[in-house]
Amino acid sequence: MSDYEIDRVKTGIPGLDELIEGGFPRGDTILVAGKAGTGKTIMANQFLYYGAVKYNEPGVLVTLEEPPRAIKRNMLRFNMDLDSLVQQGMLAIVDLYPSKEVARVNIGEYPSFDLSGLEAIIMNHVNKIGAKRVVIDTLSILAYKFRSRDILREEFFKLTANITRHGATLLLTSEIPAQDSGLGVFDIEAFLASGVVVLYNEKISDTSRSRSIEVLKLRGSKHSSRIHSMRITDEGIRVWPGEISPSH
Amino acid sequence: MDKAAGSNVSDKHTDDTIVDIVFFKSDTCAFCPRAEEVLRETIQDFGPSAFNLSIVNVSQNPEAAEEYGVFALPTIMIGGISVTGIPEPEMLMKMILGCKIAKKRGSRQ
Ligand SMILES: Nc1ncnc2c1ncn2[C@@H]1O[C@H](COP(=O)(O)OP(=O)(O)OP(=O)(O)O)[C@@H](O)[C@H]1O
Ligand SMILES: [Mg+2]
Repeated sequence: MSDYEIDRVKTGIPGLDELIEGGFPRGDTILVAGKAGTGKTIMANQFLYYGAVKYNEPGVLVTLEEPPRAIKRNMLRFNMDLDSLVQQGMLAIVDLYPSKEVARVNIGEYPSFDLSGLEAIIMNHVNKIGAKRVVIDTLSILAYKFRSRDILREEFFKLTANITRHGATLLLTSEIPAQDSGLGVFDIEAFLASGVVVLYNEKISDTSRSRSIEVLKLRGSKHSSRIHSMRITDEGIRVWPGEISPSH
Repeated sequence: MDKAAGSNVSDKHTDDTIVDIVFFKSDTCAFCPRAEEVLRETIQDFGPSAFNLSIVNVSQNPEAAEEYGVFALPTIMIGGISVTGIPEPEMLMKMILGCKIAKKRGSRQ
């Protein structure tokens, strides 16, 4: 491969690679944004699962919103056994789900902190299993947890840069609030990322909704500019590259 | 976990009026040294046996931070309450007193 050719990381989502010239650029930060229930968590875990199973790339899941038990149970519905990956050393799950915090109450925050702790926790696992894929699900939680936006902005920037520096591909999820037209609670996630994928579950009639996916940006890539049909099947998320979503 | 001066984390202290304090820091955290100063200055007046101070350096011991679910630094935990960033001494005092009162109530029952 020449120095100028982009090494692509297969997404593990059937149909998605075809929209983005074969995969995410290796070592990039990709944001998966969408409203509640659009499939961000499933997509993120599928990226890790098939990354490990099909492409032999160990992964780290940092879960801030759901406890590992719930994620494992949900993914098992799609025949994706995360526990077995953990046992094989192909997956590390970093449980930062709020209810496990030892300090039940955080009475305050002074605008003089950083996220070097989060970075140390993540990098510990990345180094231990030689992770090539990292997922943080979801960044939005941190926006609710901390008030100091300027610090978060700067810290996110450092965090993503440090995680990807040694070649790991980072997938971040971000929840778009129900009435929002932007991409997330920070409005900065999109700027942080070299790629942005948006998931939709739009009402198409009084009685039905339709799932779709859009690649909003992907630096260095000639990606589809259409909105494509997507479904959550018994095998997980699948994209139909040839199908343009009826809701758009 | 590092041991701080005048404390012993592993000791099973029988006196339950001793307040447990955990200070989380890292090698790269720019605000941590100042926060540690504020903390030490604040607790100094109570005398050496009033507290059980343990220091967690997350750079060296990320597992402990993960265990506690602490990832913003500096964070100070007193009893079940934590504060992030360089705290005002008054805030620490409030946390300490709150913790002492809670302990007294607990031991009276
Ligand atoms: N086995 C399944 N078969 C079909 N669809 C499913 C299945 N399991 C979950 N879903 C759909 O996926 C949705 C949940 O997906 P996911 O948890 O990835 O959403 P999310 O975007 O992460 O949401 P949130 O913002 O709430 O975290 C459910 O609301 C449901 O519609
Ligand atoms: Mg989710």
